[in-house]
Amino acid sequence: MTEIELLDSIKKNQDNFSELFKLYYKPIFGYILRRTGNFDDTVDIASDTFFNAFRNINKFSYKGISIKVWLYRIATNEVNMYFRNKQKYNLVFKSVDFENKDAFNSLLYEDRKEMETELHKHDQYLLVLISLKSLSIKYQEVISLRYFEGKENKEIAEILNINEGTLKSLLSRGLEKLRKKCSQI
Amino acid sequence: MEMQKFEEKLIQMTKPDVPHLKHEDMLANAITKAKDKSIVSWWWLSIPLYIVAALSMKTIFMPRTTLLSNLHELTSNERYASVIFFFVLPILLIIINVKSLRNIYFLSGNPQMITFLKGTWYHILILILSALILIIYSL
Repeated sequence: MTEIELLDSIKKNQDNFSELFKLYYKPIFGYILRRTGNFDDTVDIASDTFFNAFRNINKFSYKGISIKVWLYRIATNEVNMYFRNKQKYNLVFKSVDFENKDAFNSLLYEDRKEMETELHKHDQYLLVLISLKSLSIKYQEVISLRYFEGKENKEIAEILNINEGTLKSLLSRGLEKLRKKCSQI
Repeated sequence: MEMQKFEEKLIQMTKPDVPHLKHEDMLANAITKAKDKSIVSWWWLSIPLYIVAALSMKTIFMPRTTLLSNLHELTSNERYASVIFFFVLPILLIIINVKSLRNIYFLSGNPQMITFLKGTWYHILILILSALILIIYSL
């Protein structure tokens, strides 16, 4: 199924949103985790990202950008809000009724254990992340999308809604700042 | 040269990967059944609109009165209530709806103008009505 067909099927029946969830939850979750380095915050931000997407999917027009880029854009905005406010208000867990909250919490516990083990396998990355978090958000987002997610400049520019020239200058300045920070550790 | 090495180091270093997430299916199921619990409603605007409509009726049925004179009479009799309904409430609704429009534009992902207008007519209508009430009040 192409993205356009998927979008049409969701607009006809919102239950089909779970198909979009299956396709993109893992990559978006990974992107948020690699930006925050914290499992619990990642669950909050990722669930808010998909909740926002679910509430606005009917307004989404495919002609502008792809669904994937759109989801990355929402996720980036949510992560930036998290870094700016620190105290995160989780929309999903206030609005959603879980049929079996204990079962959900127990699955979260298992995922947390697994993800924390995974995070600690990458010491070098964790050190770079500490330095990256001390930079301004505009540098964090471009460096993370380019070097952690391996995205091309064109796609990053689409996600951040900036032109490629601005992106290149942000990347070059951000990288220089990050290198200086890393050399201090 | 040093910069190039640093860039290569960033690309080559290992990064945490996400395996199968066990909570994924339950979360997807809960989100697709979620209801939007918004407290922002256009019904708040119905109070000043109702008053304006009542004053307009009074103007029609009572000769030698105008909408503005009736409104001025009301604002001098009910000073605090009129400030709340004709000034504070419309301004609040304008702020809330401008923020909502910005948010919807962002969440719609570069929508075409016609698509955007179709999806936001309700917010635009509230903006226009709020502005209208503010204008009537300030005359």
